[in-house]
Amino acid sequence: MRKITFILIALFVGTVAKGQSDFKKSLSGIEWVKIESKTDITVKTHSSNELLIKSGPEIKTPDRAKGLKLVGAGGTDNTNVGFSVVQDGNTLIVYNLRKNKGAEIYLPKSQNIAIKSTWNGDIEVDGFSGEIEADAQLNGSVKITDVNGPVTANSLNGSLEVVFGTVTQDSPISLYSTNGAVDVSLPSNTPANLSLSTLNGNVYTDFDVKAEDRDGLKSLLGRNVKATINGGGVKISMKSTNGNMYLRKK
Amino acid sequence: MENKHVLDQIPDYLDGTLDNETMKAVEDHLTNCMECQKELEEMRVLFKAFEEEKTTVPSDRLKAQFEEVLEQEKSLQGNVVHMTQDKKSSWANNILKVAASIALLVASFQMGSVFQQKKVDKEIALLKDETDHMKQTAMLSLMENQSASKRIQGVSYIEEFENPDEAIIQALANRLLNDENDNVRLTAFEALSKFTSSEKVKNVLIEALEKEKNPSIQVAIIQTLVQIQEKKAAEPMKRLLEQEDTQPFIKEQIKAVLPSIT
Repeated sequence: MRKITFILIALFVGTVAKGQSDFKKSLSGIEWVKIESKTDITVKTHSSNELLIKSGPEIKTPDRAKGLKLVGAGGTDNTNVGFSVVQDGNTLIVYNLRKNKGAEIYLPKSQNIAIKSTWNGDIEVDGFSGEIEADAQLNGSVKITDVNGPVTANSLNGSLEVVFGTVTQDSPISLYSTNGAVDVSLPSNTPANLSLSTLNGNVYTDFDVKAEDRDGLKSLLGRNVKATINGGGVKISMKSTNGNMYLRKK
Repeated sequence: MENKHVLDQIPDYLDGTLDNETMKAVEDHLTNCMECQKELEEMRVLFKAFEEEKTTVPSDRLKAQFEEVLEQEKSLQGNVVHMTQDKKSSWANNILKVAASIALLVASFQMGSVFQQKKVDKEIALLKDETDHMKQTAMLSLMENQSASKRIQGVSYIEEFENPDEAIIQALANRLLNDENDNVRLTAFEALSKFTSSEKVKNVLIEALEKEKNPSIQVAIIQTLVQIQEKKAAEPMKRLLEQEDTQPFIKEQIKAVLPSIT
């Protein structure tokens, strides 16, 4: 009897451990990874060509949910880490079904990524050379560091912070926030055509730019600054309707 | 057969070129028909007259006379030619001729260069047409790209066109109304806001104001519609005022501008 109990306990522990192990999926043939989440999402690089979702140690499925699957608007949990992962053509859709606790996702450095936070989740992305799209639709903030672009990011109430490494020149960069601050750092030798505009905020920068006023008239969208730096280059468009804007030399 | 006269066949009958069957039919008819017999006789006389007529040859005397007159005329011509070769007038004439040929040369050169210029202009216009067309194709295809940054690049191509055609405006309108990415929609709005004199663009902006949920784009559309004094925008703005999910600062903005367009 004692033996049987022991075996049962061992089996149970095994199942729980499996439930909490990481999820991996190969990325061959995948051009875009689309991530959608209501909670915090951190995306980092790793060296293998696969998607890795770390569930984190503190995730615990409620006792009552034993033997059941987590179901949400984005689909069913087919990963055992609270995510639904579905391939659609050359796009991998990664949907975080849980509404509490964040998750860490690892992808190869050159991956194109589109991340959407639909509730309070903050988006953090670090170290990518592919294309990044980030959309914090409600209260989340966006922090993208050590990337090369192109970056297309948008936030409603959270702040939007982007720190660039060398900026790739082939496709435009677009960073918009409605109520948050837009804070961007660029290497000082980046060639670019800048367009900075804000309605109710202020623009602060240590780059050599000044407001262009036509015949002393204020531009349509409030303070609107257009300038070229280092001889001109890729188009970088920054806009905050109600927040301030900070453009820094790195 | 009796009632059918054979007048048409008579010349062939006389020449003997009819085939045996028709020949026999014509002969049968001729024995019975007085009218045709008469015609046959007349025709026979006429044919005989043709044969007997000799080719008239001019008499020797006429020929001699003609030669004489011809010689006389030749010598007269010779005199005329001699008179035109007067030394004095030929010098002046030559100058005139040279001047005329130079004038002709210059004129034809001018004409030629005018035509050439026209042709070149036409070719340049054609080339410009082609590059415009290529730009348009590139722009439209970029706007359908999977990458938001590439779609923004496509939308930004609008700066290359002075008078964008219907297809471009429609493509920009589709971006503003239907693109899932907020940044693309805002860029499309900024592109369209430069063409507010177009009735279609105005209608698209009003439609976008009803649909748009991003407050940054909402406020930008409101400002543009107020600036062009678009009265039709008043109703959608009032509806935004009544909606609960409209951001407070949008409502304030609408309250501030609404009186100026109603």
